[in-house]
Amino acid sequence: MTQEPQAADQKSSEAADLSMPPERRRAAQAHVAILAATAAKVAAELPLGADVDDFRRILIAEARP
Amino acid sequence: MQLEQLSARALAAAIHAKKISSLEATEAAIKRLEAAHALTHCTLSLEADAALAAAKACDAGIAAGENAGPLAGVPLAHKDMFDRKGKIASWGARIRAPAPATQDATVIARYKAAGALQIAALHLTEFAFGPTGHNYVLGHARNPWDPTRITGGSSAGTAAAVAYGAIPAGLGSDTGGSLRLPAAACGVTSIKPTWGRISRAGAMPLSPALDTIGVIARHVEDLALMLGLLAGPDARDPAASPVPVPDYLARLDDPIRGLRLGIDAAVIGSAHPQVQEMLQQVVSILGKQGVVSAACRFPDWQTLDHLVQLTQMPDCSAAHAAYLRSRPDDYGPQVRARLELGHFIGAVDHLTALRARGSTLARTLQDTFKDIDIAILPILADPLPTIAELDIGGGPTLQAAMARVVKYTRPVNYLGLPTLALPVPRHGGLPNGIQLIGRPYREAQLLAVGRAYQREVPPEIARPLS
Repeated sequence: MTQEPQAADQKSSEAADLSMPPERRRAAQAHVAILAATAAKVAAELPLGADVDDFRRILIAEARP
Repeated sequence: MQLEQLSARALAAAIHAKKISSLEATEAAIKRLEAAHALTHCTLSLEADAALAAAKACDAGIAAGENAGPLAGVPLAHKDMFDRKGKIASWGARIRAPAPATQDATVIARYKAAGALQIAALHLTEFAFGPTGHNYVLGHARNPWDPTRITGGSSAGTAAAVAYGAIPAGLGSDTGGSLRLPAAACGVTSIKPTWGRISRAGAMPLSPALDTIGVIARHVEDLALMLGLLAGPDARDPAASPVPVPDYLARLDDPIRGLRLGIDAAVIGSAHPQVQEMLQQVVSILGKQGVVSAACRFPDWQTLDHLVQLTQMPDCSAAHAAYLRSRPDDYGPQVRARLELGHFIGAVDHLTALRARGSTLARTLQDTFKDIDIAILPILADPLPTIAELDIGGGPTLQAAMARVVKYTRPVNYLGLPTLALPVPRHGGLPNGIQLIGRPYREAQLLAVGRAYQREVPPEIARPLS
């Protein structure tokens, strides 16, 4: 019961300092919600040790003959 | 001598052999660029006087027997997002750097060291943040084959000027397709190298996690020549790769017979039927040269597309956060709406996308590239749209429309893989293109395939179709 108002409060405070018309704000929130769902799925399968530098390491490793 | 037909390499050889002076070549290039601009709005600042003075100095050096470099006296022009000492780049925007650059961007310095001249700064989408060539601040770019059509973006001016034959090649950048889309739309080639292969020092940042500098040209041999000149480590860009730079020119004629070309039918199947047909034509042309087709499967394409957005959007928005708050009305409507979006993405989701990037790349290399050397995909999902069709500003259809335009390009940036854009055979119609995607640092392999392809499908000069 208490989660819904909190979620609503959080949504209304997102990027609150940006001057945006309400319809563009709603469109941004809707689009980002889709992306967030993907992020949650990906995060569920990502090992704890996954690191932002893995990408560079793998690129460089591929350069070895 | 038909100068507009020559590659930069051939023009440099002609200047070196004194068959033509740099001054004559530069005068002719300026004239053609003026004509190209009248048709396409490709130029943001023409720098004729400085270029002609540099050309005279180059001719004097050659007459004195100086070794002036592999591009000595060749007139080029570049996307207006690179620092040049004493100048302020436009970035395609109203908001610009507060003071002139104190040194050249590394890529500009490396071109200068090779003897190349710069005759103009060329059009780009505002802040290089848009895939179509629309620019709501400085005016839209128009396609040289049909000025009612898009050029693709963001490296719109470079592609239009190269296609028109004003210059043989020029710099662009690619964060979500900005080299490949304009190359395809204007019927020319481009190389988006492996992420980090070319230094970005002094280039306007858009999303540093993804930004890749590259070259647009009509001739694949120019891509090879210029990639060799521009690539390599740079103390000014810690992300610039230390991996040794091969001699791409020497490897242009590497055999391609037996190379395996991967086709992901499910991913390609979302393209317009005409685009699928064009892609099959390219597969067929390469097949006649001994390239063998094989099935492959990319990771889930929509997941890749979401991950690249989660990576890119906050990156762009962070760079522009102060100006978006203090000068929001100085942004065009499309860039403003896209920059706002990044503020809604949570830090955890952004970091999830960055943390997943390594394992996603590893999986792609192990699975997608397991039995293939190169993958082929469309660039544009549809036949070339008109400027009017995509003139949507920052309106409610923005995300969906942009997603369709970058459908086949943006996910490849997440993977950081090298990509060669090639124009499809036109058969008298509008241009379009495909992309060949290689393993990291295998640019030489892509270029060899591109060179063989251009023996069958030679470069063309763009003029409005009747």
